[in-house]
Order: sequence, then C-alpha cells, then structure tokens
Amino acid sequence: MSEPLRLFEPTSVEAAVGVLAALGDDAKVVAGATALTLLYRQRLIAPGALVSIGRIPGLDGIEVADGELHLGALVTHRAVELSPVVRSAIPVVASTFGKVANVRVRNAATVGGVLAESDYASDPPALFLALDAVVDVQGPGGRRSIPVAEFFIAFYETALAHDELVTGVRVPIPPAGTGAVYHKFVTRSSEDRPCVGVAGLVRLDADGTVADLRVAVGAAAETPQRYRDAEALALGQRLDPDVIARIADAYADRVDTLDDMRGSAWYRTEMVRVWVRRAIESAAATAPAP
Amino acid sequence: MDSHPSFAPSGTQIDKVPGMLDANLRVRGRVPYAMDATLPGMLHAKLLRSPHAHARLVSIDTSRAKALPGVVAVLTGADLANRDDIYPYYGPIFRDQAILVIDKARFVGDPVAAVAAVDLDTAQAALDLIQVEWQELEPVLTLDAALAATSIVHDEPARLGQTFADIIVHTEADTNICNHFKLRKGDIEAGFAAADHIFEDVFTSPPVQHVPMETHNCVAWWENGTLRLISSTQMPFAVRAALAEIFKLPQTRVRITVPTLGGGYGAKTYPKLEPVTAVLAQVTNRPVRLHLTREEEFVTITKHGMQIRMKTGVTNEGKIVARQSTCHFNTGAYADIGPRLIKNGGFGTGGPHHIANVSVDSYAIYTNLAPAGAFRGYGVSQAAWAYESQMDMISERLGWDPLWFRMQNLLNEGESIMTGEPMVDAHFKELLATSAERIGWDPDQKASRAGSKVRAKGLAVIIKASVTPSTSTASVKLNEDGSLQILSSAVEMGQGAETTLSVLGAEVLDLRLDQVSITRPDTDHTPYDQGTSSSRNTYSMGTAVKMAVTDIREQLLKLGSDALEVAVGDLEVVAGQVRAKGAPTRAIGYGELVRRVRAGNLLATAVYASNGGLDPETGQGIGSVHWHQAAGAAEVEVDLDTGRVEVLKYHAGVYAGRIANPAQCELQTEGNIAFGLGQALYEEMIYDGGQLQNGNLADYMIVSMEDMPKEISLDVLEHLESHDIHGIGESSLPPCMPAVANAVFRATGVRITDLPITPEKVLRGLRAAAGQEVNA
Repeated sequence: MSEPLRLFEPTSVEAAVGVLAALGDDAKVVAGATALTLLYRQRLIAPGALVSIGRIPGLDGIEVADGELHLGALVTHRAVELSPVVRSAIPVVASTFGKVANVRVRNAATVGGVLAESDYASDPPALFLALDAVVDVQGPGGRRSIPVAEFFIAFYETALAHDELVTGVRVPIPPAGTGAVYHKFVTRSSEDRPCVGVAGLVRLDADGTVADLRVAVGAAAETPQRYRDAEALALGQRLDPDVIARIADAYADRVDTLDDMRGSAWYRTEMVRVWVRRAIESAAATAPAP
Repeated sequence: MDSHPSFAPSGTQIDKVPGMLDANLRVRGRVPYAMDATLPGMLHAKLLRSPHAHARLVSIDTSRAKALPGVVAVLTGADLANRDDIYPYYGPIFRDQAILVIDKARFVGDPVAAVAAVDLDTAQAALDLIQVEWQELEPVLTLDAALAATSIVHDEPARLGQTFADIIVHTEADTNICNHFKLRKGDIEAGFAAADHIFEDVFTSPPVQHVPMETHNCVAWWENGTLRLISSTQMPFAVRAALAEIFKLPQTRVRITVPTLGGGYGAKTYPKLEPVTAVLAQVTNRPVRLHLTREEEFVTITKHGMQIRMKTGVTNEGKIVARQSTCHFNTGAYADIGPRLIKNGGFGTGGPHHIANVSVDSYAIYTNLAPAGAFRGYGVSQAAWAYESQMDMISERLGWDPLWFRMQNLLNEGESIMTGEPMVDAHFKELLATSAERIGWDPDQKASRAGSKVRAKGLAVIIKASVTPSTSTASVKLNEDGSLQILSSAVEMGQGAETTLSVLGAEVLDLRLDQVSITRPDTDHTPYDQGTSSSRNTYSMGTAVKMAVTDIREQLLKLGSDALEVAVGDLEVVAGQVRAKGAPTRAIGYGELVRRVRAGNLLATAVYASNGGLDPETGQGIGSVHWHQAAGAAEVEVDLDTGRVEVLKYHAGVYAGRIANPAQCELQTEGNIAFGLGQALYEEMIYDGGQLQNGNLADYMIVSMEDMPKEISLDVLEHLESHDIHGIGESSLPPCMPAVANAVFRATGVRITDLPITPEKVLRGLRAAAGQEVNA
C-alpha cells in the first residue's frame, strides 16, 4: 500500500500550531478545502499531512466590537453573505462574499482560507485592503496582528510563518456616510474568478467635497493593489469626471498587470481604468448624503 | 427515398407523455450508472500518461511499480505488442490508436502504462514508480505546422479497419492529412464567373470539451472465456466489434451492457477505455474498473478545432451562385471518427441554401493534440460558424438586410441541396421567419444605445445531416397479460430515449405506458443498433420499434378475426382489446388472444435501415435520410467600455416533423442553447506547447444557469402531415454561435471570426475601428 496522507484534527489553535511547528512544510492547513482540493488534484502540492482545523471551537464567530467587524477564520463565505450582523455593519462585505464562485463553493470556503491562500484571483482580499482590515494570527510564540496591506506578499505567499494560523480578521466599520462597492468583472462565465475586481469607498463632506476615498484593485496583479497618493488626488475635491479619470489613469499606469486566460496584461490595464472609474462612481452614488 | 411504413399520428398518448418515466428516481439520485457497479474482488485501474506531445518511447521500467504491495498488474504497450492473441490497435476507421503507447506518444495524455491495484491510491502511487525514457520529437501543434509536414504524427502506413458504407478513405502518405473529403456540384468556375461579387473569408473555432457530468468509466471482467463489460458508451455494438477484433474472439464472446449514461454528447461514441480495461481484467483475472478523472476526460476526446476558408459568389439580385470551401479540421493525435465528421462538416458548408455550384475540400488533419471526435453538432457547428457569419458579412458589404438575403437563398421544397439531392420537407424559411419575428427583427434599426451599453440582434439558420445509411433493429414481446416488452439497444443518456420509445410502441397498440417496459442495451440479448448518436434514435430506433409493434398488431388482428369471426378490416385495437368497429362489446383482450393460441408470448422483430451515400469523387448522392433544420435569433448587449457580451434573449426554432415527446424536445433545445452560448462566449481548450492549460472545471468555463438569457423562447415546429420524426438533439446548437456573433457585429461593427467571442477580442476590435493603438 502507498503511504497514506496523515490527517490531524486538533481541537485548539495551540494544538494546531504545535502540529504545524512539528511537521514544517510537509503539513498543509485545511478548512473548507475548496482551494486545497484543486491544488492537490492537479498535483501542484503533495503534502504528507493535513491539519484540519474544522474542530477548533471559537473560530466561527461573527460579531461587532469596538467599532470593528470580527470574522472568525472558520466562518464560511455563505455565512458572511447571509449574516444580518455583517449586512448591518458593513453591507459591502456581505455582498462581496456573495459574489464568490457559486453557492456550493461559498458553503465550504472560509474567511481564513481565502486570506491564507493568497490567490490573486480571489475577491475578498481587495475589499479587505480597501477597508484597512487586520488579520489576526497565532503561532507557537503567541498572537500577532498583521494589517492586510502587509499580509499579502505574492501569489500564494503571505506574511504568515509556516507554523502560524489565521484565527480571524477585523474590519474597521467605515464612518457613517461612507459609500462602498465591490465590482467583480468576469470575462467568462458568471461563476468564473474575476479578471479584475475593484473595491471603492467614498465619503463626502457636507460641502460635497471628498473626505475619504479608497480604491483597491484585485485579481489584476499578484496581490491586491492600493495607491494612497492616487486616492489623495480626490481629497478636498469635488468628484467630477476629471478627478475620477485621473485616479483611474493612475491605477491603470501603476498596476503591474498580469496575463492569464481571463485577459492579457494590456486588457487588464484597460479594465483597471474602466472599473476603478466605475467603482468610484458607484461608491459615490451609494454614499448617503452627509 | 427509403421505403418505410408510414404511421398515422394518433396523438392520443403524446399529450400525456411524462417527459422522463424515471424522472423521480433521477432527481433523487437513485438511477444506477456504470460507476455504481461493484463486483467482488474488483481492482481499480489508473493510466500513466505521456508528459510529451510527441516523443519516441525509448524504454520503460515497471519493476518498482510491480513490487509495490497492492499492485496486481502493470501493463505496457510492449506487453501487448508481444502477444499473438491480441491485436493491440483500435479506432473506428483507422486502427491508429494503440491500447497503450507502443512506438511513440502522440499527445500529452496519451496512455503509456496501466496499473491495476487493490485501491485507487495504490494504483496512483504505482504510476509514480514507473520510469520512462523518452526521445522527444518535433511536436505538431497547429494546423499550419501539420500542413508544413516537417514532422509527421503517423509515419507508418495506415491500418484500415472495417469499411464504413458512408466513408471514403483518401489518406495521403508522408503528410499529416488523415483524410480528404471532396464535393463537386455544378461548375464552380462558371459559378464565380456569373457572380457580381465574390467574398473570401477565413473562420476559426477552437477545440472544446463535451463535459458530460459522468466521465468515461467502465468495469470489465472475464467469465468462462467471455469478456463482460459494463460501460458508459453510446455505441455498445461498435465497442463489442472492436473488442472482438482486439481479442480475436467471436462477437458472442464479448458482452456489453449499458446502464443509463450521465450525458454523452458524442464523447462516448466508439471505444475509449474499454480495450485497456479488458486487457487488465484478463491479465489479473479479476474485475477491473477504470473511471476517468475530470482532468483525464479533457484529454480523452474533444470537438475538432477548425479553420475554414470560404469563398462565396453572389449576384446583384442577392442570389448565391457559387461557394468554395476549404476546411481543415484538427483531428488531433488519432483519427477516431474524424474522417466521417469532416465529410459532414465539409458538405455542411454548403449550408441551407440553394447554390448551383459548390466545391468543397475538407481535410482531417493529424496533430499532437488530444484526439477530436464526435461532438454534438458533428462538424456542422464549425461549418455554420463560417457560412452564417459570412451571410451577414456579405449583407453588410452590399447594404442588404441579412434576413432578406437569407430568404433569397434558403432551400425551397424540391430545390437541390449541396449533395445534389432534392430538399424534401423544407421549413427553413418558416423557422427563420418565426425566429426574426420572436426576436423583434427590424432591418432599419441595427442597434440601440444607452450609456456604454449597446443592444442589437442577430440571426442564423442551418442544415444538418443524420448519419446515413444506418440501421436500427428492435424486438418486441406481447405477454399473456397483454403487456408489451421492447428489446432495444437504444442508450438512455438523459435524452429520454426509453420514455420516447415506450410511447411510440404503446401508441401502436393503444396501451397505457405502465403496460410497456423497455430493456437497457445488452449485446447478448437486445438486437443490433448502430448507436445512439447523430440525433437518430427517436427516428431510427423509433421506426424499428413501431414496425415491430405493428407486426404484433397484425398478428393480434388476425387472431382477433378468428376469435370474433369478424373480418380483419372491420377490427380495431383499442385500450388493450381487439374489437369490432362500431360494436365495442364484440371485443377480446390481447392477453386472452395470446393465451388462446398457447404462444406464451407473441414475438416480432423489425429492421429499419436507411439508404444513401455519396459519390467518392463528387460528394453527390444522398447525404441524409432526412435533413435536420434549425434557426436561432439572439439579442445581445455589449458593454463598449469592456467588450463584454451578454445574451439578453434567445429564440431557437427547430423542425421536429412529428413530436414524440414534447417535454424532452423542449429540454434538448434548451440544452443546445446552453451548449451553444458557452461555445459562443467562453469555451476553448487552451494549449501551450501541447500542454493543455485549462483541463479542469475551475479553469475551463461552461455556462452556468446565471449566464443563460433571461428570456428564452422555443419553436419546436411540428407538421403532422409529414408523419416523419426528425431528430432534434443537435440541430438548434449550431445557430447559436453565428447568431450571437452577428448580433455583436450589429451592435458594435466588430466582426469576430475566431471563436469564442471574448470581451478582449471585442474591445480590441472597437479600439482598432477607432484607430487607437492596441498592444499585442
């Protein structure tokens, strides 16, 4: 008989990271298994052991505390999509998770998984980046928090050490009056991953000028991209088409777009230009009047 | 024309047809498939596949794999080539495919070795222990490379198999030309000389996947010298014949049974996994199952990638007077049924038009890609992509309404088709007119714009053959209680064959459906059928069933005449009884008649064989027992900023002759729309250096329900006076792709001639039209 794949099912985060520390790179963490199964079937990974974290209690919470939305690592995409807590706190988080793949995938895929996998073609990372979310992780040495802006390093690479586990994500609730959208643009079936995805947030001052504007572009480069100097072009300005176009052009110029079967680098650059503009326009349109 | 009995439509049962008799079981997952068969001691097989597109097999070492505990057998091509009792090649026309690679691998995925082990994980682990040494050869990855012939995919003389009545072999040695079909109608030079305008365009479409939900699978075992197989095949008799040849056995020593299939779409025609599984079962003397993963399914059989150069001459009055087509179908590494498909795809380029002068050269070309074979539409999707796109391109160039231009050329009753035969039962104009009306066709309004979104409509109409000549046979038994059993080798693959054939049989004797049963194919017990393919089952097997049941009816009427002392002509069959017309009390039940003559059961067998065939040099003759006809109309919305196309509305029209199962007709037509829109917008197998880049369902996109148009309308056209059932399983598919492309053109002015119609292609076209620079 061939060597069987070893399966660990720890019941605490401490035990899980203990196994990871002991096994090193030979072990892979598995939660919903939607990503791992594909990689495994295509033989892109060949782990000797799986650490299934589904039996760890306390990682599936959704709650609001201290002005932040807390999502546990084991919360499924479907749970985020349907949660009244999420819908009330930051509606765009619910709607974005509802745009991922199809309902079968959303019922299994988890919040921790989509972060730890760091697949460039996932939807939530760009939104988390625009929302200034923070990833909570735990390793043998204890807990730490990593801003999303520092979490994604490259395609399939994060700031996580091999023996660290994502335990959850905290998303600051934007101030009242903020309009927020996530545009997922697919070039093939509606169940495809995005060719580009753009998260946009806009908040206006009472005089109609921009108090806050945030844009993050996903699926166009190895990691989600956000340029604060480009965002700043709008601060204190009225959101006229000129300003929006300058921001869109800045993103199009700066995102080092990649090439895959959903679109060439040239096409992605053009789509960044279109969807950054559209994201700002629709975020502004959904922003309640101050 | 064929002589077969004509059946008056009664219509009594049809209104009550339930669609699928076993729908309830299907929805609840209670219908057994081949993969559900588990036999005592059964082993599991895995195949080692070539990592190279084109490479000579230098050496192979299986010793470590054989030594792995749990491995029962490891088989290579050399093991097969060394055996006198096995002929190690198969393929329906050319025996060009070795059961396992003997001399060289011809595509990435070509099976090189096979392992049978106690479980799948062990079989998989054993594959990793097989050492293969390859000598890489220049791969032939494109049609151009194939035609340049600097590297030859098959460098041995062709091994011809049994002859097919409808296929002429024109193979050219030392080239990559697998086969050449020719059609010459009229005088092509004179035709072009008479034309006021001549247009020449090139159209391409990529290989795509069938994506049956059930991947290929079978279980094989040997029982006292007889090979037994449970297989997911559309063609049990073709598989039986191939296995009998491989094992040098009489066909009676090979027995194939076929449960219901989870979709076929042409992928499951002709042998695929059965030969290697049967050899593994033989050498292990145990049952062996082989069940492909989705990734393996992608490299087992595909639709033909194609390039068609089409030259069409028209007069100022809008008449097409000449058409010349040069078609190159990429048949991949092995011919499979490519040599026949290029014939249908080739003459198919004549289209549903009355054209006096037609010349076609259609080639099946070998390359080092996965083999291509039968695929829903059978070459006509590729042909129609060319001619129905070009109809609109010509209309645009000459300022004509595309609907008007089509109407000037569509075949009328009796006009000659490209094969020279007269069109019988022509309904193209009716189908197209209805499609135009349903979509709201307005020749004066090309498009309407709102913001960045533009809407427009497109049309298409096609002709398709059904395999001719072909044969179906059926046997029936009427039991002592008056119930009817149909023995048929029709394969149920979700299309409702069993329900439809039951209805057709029940109708002849005016029985209730619960009094009729139908068997699944079992080559030992059910009579011959050519195969469930080519949209032929309801027509061809349906005719055989009705002929056999009509024989029973005649037997009953004779017996009833004796019993009731009434002349046969004064009797009728009603609700399970033979009775005197106008005197319903003078009646006797079927069962009573069977019991009286102590026959046990009444038996009848019928053969339905259609006639036809084409001249090998001219392609003239009878191309199809009858011609399938369909039209389509699409309304699309294009986002000018992104190039993305959304199909808002689709209408499909198909000629059914007489409808046997209304619900299934509609569902098959909707299925064709899903197939067609996927191929129009998303589907293509993407290769890099011979390596498939998207051979899984995360990277390869088919339509989801959310991609379907919000509005779909169907016109399953019935003409009861025709008495003839037309297959509808494929015909409404080919119009989808050109109808969408034509709508996209009317919306944007961008003409896409290379499927699929991706947003990027449309945006590049828009930028080019605006004179803007577009990077490569």
